[in-house]
Amino acid sequence: MNIIIWIIQLIFVPVISPFCVGFIRKIKAKLQNRQGASVFQPYRDLWKLLHKDEIISKDASWIFTFAPFIIFAVTIIVGASIPLFASFLKNTLTSDLLVIVYTLAIGTFFLALAGMDTGSAFGGFGSSREMTVSALAEGGFIFSLLTVALIAGTTNLFAISHSGMFTNSKYFLSIALAFIGFLIILLAETARFPFDNPATHLELTMIHEAMILEYSGKKLALIEWAAANKLVIFVALAANLFFPFGIAETVGLGAIAIGIIILIAKILVFCFGIGVLESCIAKFRFFRLPDLLMVAFILNAIAIGLIR
Amino acid sequence: MMNILFLQLLMSTMFLTLVSLHLTKKNFIATVSYAIQSSVIVLILLNSFFETKNIYIFIVILATLIVKVILAPLFFNRLIKKNAVVFSASTYLNAPLMLIIIAALTFIANSQKLTPLTGIVPGNQVLLSLALSSILLSLFLIINRKGALSQILGILSLENSILAFAIFAGLEQSIGLQIGVVFDIFIWIIIAFMFMSMVYKHFGSHDVTSMKNLKD
Amino acid sequence: MTEIITSAISFFSLIILFAIGAIGSLLFRKSDKLANLFGSFFAIAGSLYGLIFSISAIISGSVLSFSFKLPAFPLLALSFHIDLLSEFFIFVISLIALFCSIYGIGYAKHFYQKYSLGALGFFYNFLLISLFLVVTASNGIFFLIAWEIMSLSSYFLVVYDKNDENNVKAGSLYFIMTYAGTAFIITAFLFLYKYTGSFDFAAIKANVGLIPLAIKNTIFILALIGFGTKAGIIPLHIWLPAAHPAAPSHVSALMSGVMIKAGIYMMIRIFLDILQPAPVWWGLVIVIIGAVSALLGVLYALTEQDIKKLLAYSSIENIGIILLGLGSALTFYSLNMPALALLSLMAALFHTLNHAIFKSLLFLSAGSVINEVHTRNMEEFGGVIKYMPQTALFFLIGSMAISALPPFNGFFSEWLTFQSLFMGIFQLQSFVQWIFIIAAGSLAFTGGLALACFVKAFGATFLARPRSLEVTHAKESPLSMQVGMGVMATLCLLFGVFSGYTATLLAKIGKGFTIFQNTVSPIAVASNQGINITNGFASASGPVIFILLVVVLSLVAFAIRYVVNKNQKIKIGATWDCGTDLTPRMEITATGFAQSIVTIFKRILKPSIQHEIEYHDVESRYMMKSRSVTLGVGDIYHAYLYKPLHKVINVLSTRAKNIQSGNINAYISYIFIALVVALLLVL
Repeated sequence: MNIIIWIIQLIFVPVISPFCVGFIRKIKAKLQNRQGASVFQPYRDLWKLLHKDEIISKDASWIFTFAPFIIFAVTIIVGASIPLFASFLKNTLTSDLLVIVYTLAIGTFFLALAGMDTGSAFGGFGSSREMTVSALAEGGFIFSLLTVALIAGTTNLFAISHSGMFTNSKYFLSIALAFIGFLIILLAETARFPFDNPATHLELTMIHEAMILEYSGKKLALIEWAAANKLVIFVALAANLFFPFGIAETVGLGAIAIGIIILIAKILVFCFGIGVLESCIAKFRFFRLPDLLMVAFILNAIAIGLIR
Repeated sequence: MMNILFLQLLMSTMFLTLVSLHLTKKNFIATVSYAIQSSVIVLILLNSFFETKNIYIFIVILATLIVKVILAPLFFNRLIKKNAVVFSASTYLNAPLMLIIIAALTFIANSQKLTPLTGIVPGNQVLLSLALSSILLSLFLIINRKGALSQILGILSLENSILAFAIFAGLEQSIGLQIGVVFDIFIWIIIAFMFMSMVYKHFGSHDVTSMKNLKD
Repeated sequence: MTEIITSAISFFSLIILFAIGAIGSLLFRKSDKLANLFGSFFAIAGSLYGLIFSISAIISGSVLSFSFKLPAFPLLALSFHIDLLSEFFIFVISLIALFCSIYGIGYAKHFYQKYSLGALGFFYNFLLISLFLVVTASNGIFFLIAWEIMSLSSYFLVVYDKNDENNVKAGSLYFIMTYAGTAFIITAFLFLYKYTGSFDFAAIKANVGLIPLAIKNTIFILALIGFGTKAGIIPLHIWLPAAHPAAPSHVSALMSGVMIKAGIYMMIRIFLDILQPAPVWWGLVIVIIGAVSALLGVLYALTEQDIKKLLAYSSIENIGIILLGLGSALTFYSLNMPALALLSLMAALFHTLNHAIFKSLLFLSAGSVINEVHTRNMEEFGGVIKYMPQTALFFLIGSMAISALPPFNGFFSEWLTFQSLFMGIFQLQSFVQWIFIIAAGSLAFTGGLALACFVKAFGATFLARPRSLEVTHAKESPLSMQVGMGVMATLCLLFGVFSGYTATLLAKIGKGFTIFQNTVSPIAVASNQGINITNGFASASGPVIFILLVVVLSLVAFAIRYVVNKNQKIKIGATWDCGTDLTPRMEITATGFAQSIVTIFKRILKPSIQHEIEYHDVESRYMMKSRSVTLGVGDIYHAYLYKPLHKVINVLSTRAKNIQSGNINAYISYIFIALVVALLLVL
């Protein structure tokens, strides 16, 4: 039984992530009064890319070749280490909040290096902007997770989602502030509005897309999939750490099934929110982003200070 | 053998020679004062010799007699005659101020404050305080005088005063002190002579203040 | 057997090995090759022996104490007290010295026919001797002698490359700053002597109750400034970015990895061991200094183009992190939480070890690149990965370690530091809690900025196309240098994967302190090598993360390469060039990479930009002959701290110059007055 649960935990994120990306695009399309592509289109895109040939720049080194695998592997590991549908699982090995943050940072590191590897101007600038945003977002990321960790008394993510801290209303304000902070960080790290436009290829505006401009074929498929995984990871963290209702707290087929369904529902709610947000606001100018990230950090610091 | 009174007389003579070294304006008198001072030292040493019958002291006496009493003043006189240009024996401070400072230094040397120093041999306290005042006066002499000859005389009388102090404090028994004193004297005179000739050759005068130009 | 290895004689034979190396080097100075080999061989032998000594001493938990009294000098006694903390530092020193010496065999060939290799061997071995003596001395005066030897030998090593004028200037700055720091240290020791009556550390520790609190605080501040100058805390750091790049690379590695830790060692010794019990504000001051140094260190590193200066500033950042651990240890102990204090101390010690390893690795690989390309300017590197692949790999591992990416060692020591800060936030109240929150925030930002800094360093140096002709002539380093770097890179991985075992050993070292003797260990290491902090607050496992990464990576790689679309064709083409020719000018430069961050932090960094244009015709000013743009970072330490000090000292000196009138009579009257005054005062 345990094995099956762990297998579902492992493959849940990669399986569901293209669907979420497709869902967001569908929402945006509907708001723009279009039909939009089917929600399963990203699966077909991945299939197409995996079956295409590649061109690799002659200036690139082994880092360019290996980076997609590393980035994808990192998202799989992190996806398996966060609470998804079951909080009774005990993972004291990789489920610490700092381990999550820094394992994701491995992905960012190699992505930035891959961007610089081909020696194109776009890649270099993309790496520079990405590292700037990521450096400033890390403070907010750690602190927002720290707030809920301090309330629950542990930094183990599974234990936090299990702790039932919502029963205590005195933490409500802290959790709310931390949640707002976390939302900002979520948008930053997953390269969504107002930080980055995932559909643009203009040199003035792209951050994530700039670094992967030289990729093609299977490697591009892996990177796009990894980006989708990251989106689901952050959304799942937001859903389960700040609103852990419905997560399976006891072992049992029924509880797990309910857990999965409620998780998918929560993810879809968040994706809907992101889609609406992307349709309503414009991308910010690059030098306004640090202010936003500092706001996230300060909100989280206040949230920590408010914990009694 | 000689009793305390005679020793006190000798020390007072030494003290007075120092004062005259301060006050005189002519180099010749300075040299004579120095000779008198040295003979006082010889007499004190003789006294010490008769008390302890130490043969080395006798050698020292002989040496001191020859060098300090006879040869040194002769050297100086010859120098004065050879470089018979203006020998500046002038001082920084005028006479009344000088006397006041001399009085102050003597007073400090004899004061209660310095009793631990001058009371090393309680019987000789007066002698020791006189010797200490001689030391301080010699230092003041060096500071006050502008001419090189006066300064060298000051250093030599400083030596004499320290020797007197050592004798009265009971230190004359150490052979090293005696040999050291003799050697020191000898070398000093030679150096002083050569130094003076060289200084005159280079600067044309013995005024030490002209060495200020070396500074920049 | 262990008794023999960990005895006093054994320690002396260690020192003697280095001494033979030093003297032999000097004797054989006529022959470059022989001097180099001789000196390096004995350095390697000594370091190996030091490793054996320290490892057996730590595992057996032995404490050595012996001293020789010198009848001629009543206050000086050659006393050694080698407890677990000293053994730990001996381990760190020996480890780094071993690999730097191996690297040095190949690196010093670069200096043949140019400078005296006998002198290099001599001063290098003396530096190592003095390092060992500094961490084991137990008498204040003996310690100061060893400290002086350390400063002097490192000075001569810094100015070894005399032909470059900048190196000589850097050496002078280093010299002055070291001595200013030493002056503070001497004053602190004099205060200790006055109130406890002895220079011996054990005696001082026993009599620490005799020191009044105000004096204890003064000693704290003096020791903090003195040892902080050596460690390189902001604002006393100005010598570090000048001196570390000037020295030869293996010496830079030794200085950055080990010598600045000598300051940390003494801070731990004095604050946690000798001067306990201490007030709370001591720990808080150190935490704040650590937070500021960490953040500012990494920000300045981001602005640098000289790769060795970048690494030097990064050392300042890591010293800040170590101080965060030390400060929280002090705070927790003063607030009666010894288990947490032990945890923080373990974090600080672990980071000391880790930083020594990965910083030395980074300096050594940077040194290899500089050796081949003959410049330290990153803007002239680029594409080196194709010409020096092994060096690139080692630098990459070093960068990943220093940016605290799992599964390397840097992650685990930062994890421990974070956990101790988190526990502080969890359990403390009011304004102490706020200081810990600020410290944790600073550490979080530092981690992110360090990642950006090393992406810049690695990317600008090794990736893309070469930016200068020299790079195309670069060759991979000789074997000895590769061995030195390679083993260190492996150690980075091993210390990360086996962090559980290391943490247990560190807990044992921490318990060797008198104040922690009865403390329950705050961590428990599970059978899967997972470190668990008490009460299940946090846990992480090195080997599991490593194995997971390797397994998942291989599975994904296998699946994608061999299962999906086996018949894929991969073509090599040119990078997309928008239709123009690709030149190195199109790559991002190191300056450009960091420009966004510099602009964001412009209030702190105060960047400046100056334009100079030269025209063909000065009157009409239409056609430009040349144009130069100078980008700079404002140096607030010079403007606000050192220039005013300099001005005050100058004014005082000019006034004092008037004493020297050139007049002999004046000088003798000074002596006279001094004599009279002395007589009157003493009697």
